Amino acid sequence: MKRSFLMVALLAGLGLAGCSAFTSGDGASDDKVQITYARGTDTTGATDVLVKAFEKEHPDIDVIVREMPSDSGQSHNQYVTMFSGRSPEVDVFDADIVWSAEFGQANYVLPLDRLIERDQINMDAYFPATVEAGRYNGRQYAMPGYADAGLLYYRTDITDQVPETWDELEQLAQENMGKEGAEFGYLMQAAQYEGIVTNAIEYIYSYGGQVLDANGNVVINSPEAIEGLNKMIAIANSDFVPNNVLNFKEIDTESSFNEGNAVYARNWPYMNDTANDEKVSKVAGNVGIATIPAGSDGNASALGGWMRMINRYSDEVEASWTFVKWMSGEQGQKISALEGGKAPTLEALYDDKEITDVSAVLASEDFYNSLQNAIPRPITPIYPEISDIMQIEISRALTGEITAEEAVERMETKMQAALESVNQ
Amino acid sequence: MKQPKKRRFQLNERQLGYAMVAPSIILIAVIIIWPILLSAWNSLFDYRLNDPSKAERITSLSINLETYADNRYLVYDTMEDVRDTMPGAANTLNNVTSALDEQHETLLKTDEGLADRYEEVNTMLENYQPVNDDDLRLTDIPEAWADGFTATLDEQTAAVQALREDAPEGAVQSLTDLESQLSNTKNAVLEPNFVGVQNYTDYLANGRTWTAMLNTLLFTVVTVGVELAVGMLVALLINRVFIGRGLVRAAVLVPWAIPTAVAAMMWTFLFDGQSGIMAYYMAQLGIIDDPGVLLSTGAGGMFSVMFADIWKTTPYMALLLLAGLQTIPRSMYEAAAVDGANKFQQFFSITLPMIRSAILVAVLFRALDAFRVFDLIYVLTGGGPANSTESISVYAYKLLFEQQNFGAGSALSVIVFLSVALLSTIFIKLIGSDLFSGRLKQ
Repeated sequence: MKRSFLMVALLAGLGLAGCSAFTSGDGASDDKVQITYARGTDTTGATDVLVKAFEKEHPDIDVIVREMPSDSGQSHNQYVTMFSGRSPEVDVFDADIVWSAEFGQANYVLPLDRLIERDQINMDAYFPATVEAGRYNGRQYAMPGYADAGLLYYRTDITDQVPETWDELEQLAQENMGKEGAEFGYLMQAAQYEGIVTNAIEYIYSYGGQVLDANGNVVINSPEAIEGLNKMIAIANSDFVPNNVLNFKEIDTESSFNEGNAVYARNWPYMNDTANDEKVSKVAGNVGIATIPAGSDGNASALGGWMRMINRYSDEVEASWTFVKWMSGEQGQKISALEGGKAPTLEALYDDKEITDVSAVLASEDFYNSLQNAIPRPITPIYPEISDIMQIEISRALTGEITAEEAVERMETKMQAALESVNQ
Repeated sequence: MKQPKKRRFQLNERQLGYAMVAPSIILIAVIIIWPILLSAWNSLFDYRLNDPSKAERITSLSINLETYADNRYLVYDTMEDVRDTMPGAANTLNNVTSALDEQHETLLKTDEGLADRYEEVNTMLENYQPVNDDDLRLTDIPEAWADGFTATLDEQTAAVQALREDAPEGAVQSLTDLESQLSNTKNAVLEPNFVGVQNYTDYLANGRTWTAMLNTLLFTVVTVGVELAVGMLVALLINRVFIGRGLVRAAVLVPWAIPTAVAAMMWTFLFDGQSGIMAYYMAQLGIIDDPGVLLSTGAGGMFSVMFADIWKTTPYMALLLLAGLQTIPRSMYEAAAVDGANKFQQFFSITLPMIRSAILVAVLFRALDAFRVFDLIYVLTGGGPANSTESISVYAYKLLFEQQNFGAGSALSVIVFLSVALLSTIFIKLIGSDLFSGRLKQ
């Protein structure tokens, strides 16, 4: 007891010393504002450059970066815990594109309408879909950060054949595996987490299936969705994917592909950057990109991306807004694109030669088209519940516990019940 | 005559005793009883953080001034936009304005001081400050006003909806916004969301709850059983005198000293189908057909979490048993040896009976711990694959923090608590009496 008291006293002392060191370190800035910016794991180091550039321009604001888990679902839960306790510990944070309805409705984040209006931000300069994603019920809860769309990566030193359909992918992956030390033909994300939903959606929509229609009705139980899901099951259980693909997340895909273990891989645009970085990748220079393979109804890549939100309970709204505004503006987005390979949401930046030069993804027509045809995940304030249902049933279908038909039936029943319980 | 000595205020022995233990009783009440009662109370509401009309526990009809003031501001703001882009709408908009103003006036008259509170909330909103004070934010309202308010807003929303029919393209977005803002304003009225035991009946009828319960029970029985057997062997080993015993004792305790989340992370790498050493050797030894099955099949996932838990907490079990072993006087074994009992006979007739209470305590502790298992499973498998490793605590966590369904999540937490309480009661009733009688005889 005595010891723990001493510890507390000691820690408090250290904390005070830390504070005073911090304030006295910089002579002129007694009113220097400190804000905390939380974001997921950044393997590219772009955040540091971004923050340094911002601090240089705004010497009165100090940005502290806090790293959150790379799994978006786990980050979500930490934010929910923080915000439901009305904690001001994080001021600005990167929000997954599917969170705005939920966070907005729960009043976790500051609606930005008043600030946007005051500072006359031109929201038309952004891709409409990315602005729309931050909007819920007539209010803007987020500023667009960067856009994502699923992409197919392949090894140019092994093959120049790009599969256009899932059937072709199966065939080419089978044929090319084993060459140049590539143990596997194809990598995807199939662990029971958010990534399994984005992957499944790409299969389901490419065969013409849907999850929720425009009116929010559950339409997952369709022959098209079953066909798509069956294709996913076939690929996940084939012998050209790793035997533990049911445990794969983006980061596993990235490390395995960069180790040179696979011919084809599905991942987000960011991987192009690390895959071509000689320091971390054995396949640098041999990476090609293409659109996600098509089903019978064309190709569909899942729309992803991150937005910037401000904690409703933040003590430093003005400084946070300055930071968000800057990050979402031209300078901030350019740094993210050049340093981190993140796709800008400002349309004008795609004409910027500096940006198209640095990244094959951003210069690629394929990527531009993917973004245009990207399909959003179901839009609903109970998205986590819908996602949870999909994660479980799809995971069950992939392990062979249930068939695709049973999976869509179960998803239909559960989603309907979940939506009903909210609309009561 | 001697003056009777004036008695100073003094506690008698009994009162003094209570006074001494009062701090710990208060502590127990604050950190144990209070959260449980709070959870039980929460579980009686349809309490969802992501739904503005259910985001508080409301027992009487109230209004959320923060939502109300904020949306009122926006409604007026958006109406300006509409006025600019659609001059023909002026009439309807004037109607909306006067209807809203009238409702607002009546609201402010319902309670003394409400006007001041509204102003205060409004000022805070203008400065982008959150309104954290519930006394300021929430206020009871009469049912008559709420009914009138809801009706008025429905009426005006319909009027705005009608405007959309022949609106110019530039006005469509603002009209849609206006509609949502009107409905948001309406949602500032909070209806009581007390649902009684409905959360319990819903979730006890839900298959997933029972699967999670069975997973938890299986996990508890297997891990505690194996830990008891292995822990006993380890305890017997380190109870003997041999060279390097100290080192072995310390080494055995290492797994227990590693934080669970870290240990779980470590095991995800060890069980990984590609690079995991454990997975590789298990496949080499023929325990599994293929290194990938550990984390990508239901049975493999369950095996993995159990294995990791056994690895981690066997030392704890061993430690508890070792404490029991050390209380047995050496002379008893010497006497038995003189009588010609072999090692097995000694173990079954001396060791086991003598450490029975230590075994019971160890099993009870571990069983309660295992039943509440959360972090290990959450980090190692996240409940997957195919949801086959989801324990009841993981399910409760998902409801609470992923889906923000606090009512249902609390109901599950209370169910976990009741199960644990039941488990302990059964233990103590069945074998605890044994345990105490053993004590009394000594």
